[in-house]
Amino acid sequence: MNRKFLRGTVAALCCIAILGLTGCWDSVELNRRAVVTGVAIDRGPSEEEKYELSFQVVVADEISGKNARSTSPVAVYTGRGRSMFEALANASRQTARFLSLGHVRVLVISEKFGREGIKDIMDVLERDSETRLTSFMFISKGQTAKDSLTTMTVFSKIPANDLVEKLETTSRQFGYNFRMEVDDVVRGLQIPGGGPLINGVLVSGDEKKSDTNDNLKSIAPKATLKVTGIAAFKADKLVGWLEGSEAVGTALLKNKISQMPLLVKSGKGNYVSFSVYLSQVKVEAEADNPEDPLITIKITQQAGLKESPNNLDLTNPKVLNDLSKLLQQETEKQLTAALTAARRMNSDFLGFGEAVKRDNKKGWKMVENHWEQIFKKCRVKYEIDAVIRHTDMRSSSFQAN
Amino acid sequence: MNRNGRFWRSSDGGRKSPAGSSNAGNENGSGTSGLSAVLDETLDNIRNELGNSPDLKIRHVLLPGMVPVKAAAVHFSELANSDSVNQFVIGSLLEVSVDNFRDGKGGSTNLPDYILNRALEIGQASRMEVWNDALLALLSGETLILLDGYSAVISCETTGGEWRAVGEPSSQLVVRGPKDSFVESVATNVSLIRRRIKSSKLRLEYMKIGSVTQTYVALMYIQDTVDDKLLAEVKLRLNRIKIDAVLESGYIEELIQDKTFTPFPTIYNTERPDSAVANLLEGRVVLIVDGTPFILVLPAVFTQFFQSSDDYAQRFDISLLMRIIRYISFIVLMLGPAVYIALTTYHYEMIPTTLLISLLAQRENVPFPAFVEALLMEGAIEILREAGVRMPRAVGQTVSVVGALILGQAVVEAGIITPVMVIVVALTGIASFAIPAYNMSIAGRLIRFVFLFLAGMFGFFGITLGMIVLVAHMNSLRSFGIPYLSPIVPPSLKSRKDTILRLPLWAKGASKSRHTTRVSVPSGKKITSGHEENLSPKIPEEHAETTGPMEGRDQHE
Repeated sequence: MNRKFLRGTVAALCCIAILGLTGCWDSVELNRRAVVTGVAIDRGPSEEEKYELSFQVVVADEISGKNARSTSPVAVYTGRGRSMFEALANASRQTARFLSLGHVRVLVISEKFGREGIKDIMDVLERDSETRLTSFMFISKGQTAKDSLTTMTVFSKIPANDLVEKLETTSRQFGYNFRMEVDDVVRGLQIPGGGPLINGVLVSGDEKKSDTNDNLKSIAPKATLKVTGIAAFKADKLVGWLEGSEAVGTALLKNKISQMPLLVKSGKGNYVSFSVYLSQVKVEAEADNPEDPLITIKITQQAGLKESPNNLDLTNPKVLNDLSKLLQQETEKQLTAALTAARRMNSDFLGFGEAVKRDNKKGWKMVENHWEQIFKKCRVKYEIDAVIRHTDMRSSSFQAN
Repeated sequence: MNRNGRFWRSSDGGRKSPAGSSNAGNENGSGTSGLSAVLDETLDNIRNELGNSPDLKIRHVLLPGMVPVKAAAVHFSELANSDSVNQFVIGSLLEVSVDNFRDGKGGSTNLPDYILNRALEIGQASRMEVWNDALLALLSGETLILLDGYSAVISCETTGGEWRAVGEPSSQLVVRGPKDSFVESVATNVSLIRRRIKSSKLRLEYMKIGSVTQTYVALMYIQDTVDDKLLAEVKLRLNRIKIDAVLESGYIEELIQDKTFTPFPTIYNTERPDSAVANLLEGRVVLIVDGTPFILVLPAVFTQFFQSSDDYAQRFDISLLMRIIRYISFIVLMLGPAVYIALTTYHYEMIPTTLLISLLAQRENVPFPAFVEALLMEGAIEILREAGVRMPRAVGQTVSVVGALILGQAVVEAGIITPVMVIVVALTGIASFAIPAYNMSIAGRLIRFVFLFLAGMFGFFGITLGMIVLVAHMNSLRSFGIPYLSPIVPPSLKSRKDTILRLPLWAKGASKSRHTTRVSVPSGKKITSGHEENLSPKIPEEHAETTGPMEGRDQHE
């Protein structure tokens, strides 16, 4: 018994010792990590330096530590290389700690790279085990991507977080920009005849002063980081920017609008403002003849009246009915604008092709290769239903009396 | 028959206690060895045997008659109740008339029987012929009446002495519910249970365990509710115990439990009579050990350790919430620091960014790896806890203030430990107190360290592996044949109405005696074999001493 016990103990001790020998090979203490919150991907000047990656690294002590030195809350390191991985390796030579990509919230690709093609980049982002598919993608409009990571921002000490928050605010309230994650972009790349949509980002103002604390010392910041139009892609190449009603129409067709302002010209040239707080879009295709499909766009909208500068009698149902007809016309204009833009850019990012595929799978195979031509001239029918649900706190304006 | 009578019989009939075997010749050959027909000789033997103890009181009486008979009453003044001795034993003796006996008026053929039948004004008394039994009776606080000319003695139940009064339970507190608690006296404890179950089916059996201490162990169960196989197994295991001292029910628990090498308790203990009674009604067996307020309840399943008698006093929805909280706190207790280690050293991507940044800032100047940090803090809190149990009440406040506040704060300010680690450790510390059963709570504390190491070495992968092993281990456990995880595994929907959940009483219905139907003691499974080998008497020398003179006398006679 005792011998057995002794032998068992020795065996157990050996096991424990062996465990110790293996060590903790992938364990990294938090204070050995440099947490990257944003990555900018720029097109380098040559093939040797094709990828120019900039990493926005958090200096945690500066953000919430007691030992803040009132220096910059983030640091940006740049590395160049023939591939993304090489660029990362080069960048990590400059950092004292492990560049950890697990918390990348923002990925910015320069417009130049966008026009050249982003599919290799997306492959890396999807393949890597550390980066996440839920990071937000941006295209820096007309600037280098690095610029958008080197701008001091007011609300969040980390510019990448600030950008994310801006996007979320605008997508929830007034804007046509919506959340576009790595996953969405990869999926968009696979739309036949179409391409992904990626939000644009822009540093406006004095770019030269944007990267120091001075940027924030005045009430009106010298330079602001802001979300701007939507970059439309054909396959993996950027083909154009959507702004205004083109972008709104696109967001509507993608069912990504949660709330947006809509202005309707009424009567004597004044605008009546609505807040559209519900839009439900359905894109359907009748493709018995895949060469000549009929796309039906069904849209249901609910809106509340926000501004009424006219002396309209808002207690009269007829007035409201007329207004909602105008609302429908306005929506149709936006949808048409989006479609026109898509046809102009020759990219079916709206997903009409997918609707045809859903309706007639066999037929789709026949037209798949020349869908672009069909997309340009296919018939589109709008079925718009807009309802004004309320007029906010008042019925008729006090001016009406 | 009196309760001691049972003891003697069980000691004669069944167990070969180490004491018995060491002076076997004594018992078999001349059981009345020390008891002589000559009174003075017997008294000398008693005195010698007990080392002339000053608290041994001998009262000589002369029973009046034509031929007076010398008699003596012997008792331990510290053990016996002197009132009963004076009033009922000696008082009765003085009134005995030997003449009446000689005339045959008592209908008895010898004097001890006559006295027993006709003279003693005491509830429990018996005639004894065996030396060892007589000695044990004396040592249990009874009074022996010795008569010149007869080797038989009469033992009178005069047990007295001081016991702690029934008070409030100190370890299993409830907000609402009975406030009485078991005490050290087995008789009192039995009465506390008997008072609650006025059923003729309630059975009580006494045993005597411990070759030196001869501790009374009361076995209680409800006939027809309890499973006969379970009962037989319990008795079998109890009879197999070979130990010389039983000072607490933990001794018995360790010797009759199914598995030694497990952190989980497989026998429940309680100091609450209401809890004991509830378990009796569910078909369990209760063991009351003399000298400790903690009684044993068996068999016990895992979920039982998370139930409190409070649960049935409160509304069911509230009890339900409380129970769920207890299970959660057990998980927090086991996994809290481990998850923190795994998250910070292996899976930093799982922490929300904002939290991560604050953690980063905290860790900036901490010299130790998170694992060492956790080990330090957990060690510190265990020290604090152990100190808290041991320290005198008067300084209790000081130590807790110093420990909790000053140490906790200073350690953070000195930059040795991150504040989050203090939060995690404090949370696990508090979680350990939310578990109603202390022994389950210690099990969790022990397992926590295993998980800490696994997390430090392999992250969540290690924790997952540990969980698999833990669940497999728990599934392998049995408590007197009952699967430890029942009624979760194997599943029994009916019994689940009162396990993790606590449904209203009317919904429990027939599941009252849930475990009785499930008892199936595997025939091959007996007491873990290690016990018999390891725990045979460890102090044979002392035995030799106590039995030595006796043996010597045997030979002499």
